Amino acid sequence: MFALIVQRLIISIPVLLGVLLIGFLLLQVVPTDPAIILAGPTASQAEIEAIRQQLGLDRPLWEQFGLYLLRVLQFDLGRSMISNRPVLDELEATLGPTFELMLACLVWAIPVGIALGTQAARQRGQWTDRVIMAFSVAGVSMPIFVVGLLLIQYVGGAGLLPFQGRGGPLWTGAGLLHVVLPALTLGAVFIGPVARMTRTSVLETLGADYVRTARAKGASERRVVLRHALRNALIPVVTLIGLQIGFLLGGAVVTETMYSWPGVGRMAVGAISSSDFPVAQGAIMVLAVSFIAINLVVDVFYGYLDPRIGQR
Amino acid sequence: MTDAILAEADARALEALRRKNSIIRRLLRDPPATLALAFLVLILLGALLAPWIVPYDPFANSMRLRLKAPGFVGPDGALYLLGTDAQGRDILSRILYGLRATIGIGAIAVLCGGGLGVLIGTLAAYYRRLDTPLMRFIDVLLSFPSILFGLALAAVLGPGLFSLCVALSIAAIPTIARVARGAATVVMQQDYMEAGRALGLGDGALIWRYLLLNCGSTILIYATLQLGQSILLGSVLSFLGLGAQPPFAELGSMTADGRKFLQAFPHVATIPALTIFFIVLAFNVLGDALRDALDPKLRQ
Repeated sequence: MFALIVQRLIISIPVLLGVLLIGFLLLQVVPTDPAIILAGPTASQAEIEAIRQQLGLDRPLWEQFGLYLLRVLQFDLGRSMISNRPVLDELEATLGPTFELMLACLVWAIPVGIALGTQAARQRGQWTDRVIMAFSVAGVSMPIFVVGLLLIQYVGGAGLLPFQGRGGPLWTGAGLLHVVLPALTLGAVFIGPVARMTRTSVLETLGADYVRTARAKGASERRVVLRHALRNALIPVVTLIGLQIGFLLGGAVVTETMYSWPGVGRMAVGAISSSDFPVAQGAIMVLAVSFIAINLVVDVFYGYLDPRIGQR
Repeated sequence: MTDAILAEADARALEALRRKNSIIRRLLRDPPATLALAFLVLILLGALLAPWIVPYDPFANSMRLRLKAPGFVGPDGALYLLGTDAQGRDILSRILYGLRATIGIGAIAVLCGGGLGVLIGTLAAYYRRLDTPLMRFIDVLLSFPSILFGLALAAVLGPGLFSLCVALSIAAIPTIARVARGAATVVMQQDYMEAGRALGLGDGALIWRYLLLNCGSTILIYATLQLGQSILLGSVLSFLGLGAQPPFAELGSMTADGRKFLQAFPHVATIPALTIFFIVLAFNVLGDALRDALDPKLRQ
């Protein structure tokens, strides 16, 4: 187990370096010179040069990358061009809400997706199956903002639930109420793939010999489906969920923007629109690093579910 | 006697033809897939013919005609079938132009990204040494959320159609590369590849004349399906304001425009949003049907 974690950590290093390199190059190709912006419109050429030297912008590119790496390792991501606050401070406040939103989404979407998929597999070919599968295809085809628009219009607009901003931590009443619509939106695109994968996988295990054996032993249908078929069907589903959680980050960017949810994604979009490059770079890097971290956790969890994987 | 033999030969020839057309026939026997195909043809026609069939100028503002509901009839008897938006522009005309933009952007992405994907996939299948490094690279690309590419490119190049197309192209590479590699690996095992090599054909000729031409149809089918995904992603990025910029008519940015009036005038945002949904849905339904038709394991 430990070896697996270490191995995966080592594999993550080149990817992480790649992300950092892209993040660094992001600021290099930006058309505006940060020194000119920092110096202000009235600065003389000499003042600009001084700032360039101070920022290390006159050194060769690889040296700048080295310095950049050192700064990032010390959690220094630069300062916002708009508020002049350290980027890290700005980002710190957004991590919690994004994590909260994803958690709230997964808590309902995973069980519902698996339950729907199992039900569809049990009733294969009947109308329940068809309706569930039709919904799942619709869910996969629906741009996430369409779900958001419909929920905001019909549920939020009717005054049933709040749809703007965050109401506080999840354990408070207001916080819980505020997270319902964003979590529903984000989960709506998550259920389809999970239900589909569960259905395929359960169909396979329902045809397996051990399920026939369980039936022959006289186990109840409930026990056969839940203990024998579903349990063995879960590994591909977990893999898919792992992959999808990464993509959930992308969905979170849209959901946060629509519901004014104060998360990383909304900050990234806002910073890009207002050309606040350091913040945009920081936010994108945080998203990328979270993505790598999530995959790491999923890999390890996967190894725990199926011990054969760790030994490969 | 001769007649009977001829009749049997005819029957066999027809049978062979029928088998050849079976994929299309199977599709046409599947009502949802037929419906999806018909819908897509209609949408494509609408997009292609937009300049000739739009009832009004999609960019002409009119303060008098702001935010009219679908079915609105103007004082001069002009009918606005889908209503007007916040600038008094006819939504139907904008949708038709938006289709052009949305589908066009998706098509560019599939052409550029798909082209690169085909190159990577066939090279990986042809040169075994390149297989592992190329496909590892594709795996990394595949596992990365495409919206992040969109965000990063918009940050670097500035939000706009160019960065949108680049982001969508990158996102289209991995799927097509995998399909191309799979198809090319099958072709590599065929005898005619061996024969071509024995005839002294060079790598370039073998790849171009035998490998690519024989994978073509499979790749083309999956590239068409990828179009649905590219349209979906493109509309999401445009919705975030990272793609098409106003007043350019694009379905995603039109939805974003209409968001401000969602409570009082829901049609402004909902009509373009649902249009995207139905297009992507049609692509996915068609895609599922095609995959079933192509996959012999599922044929029963």
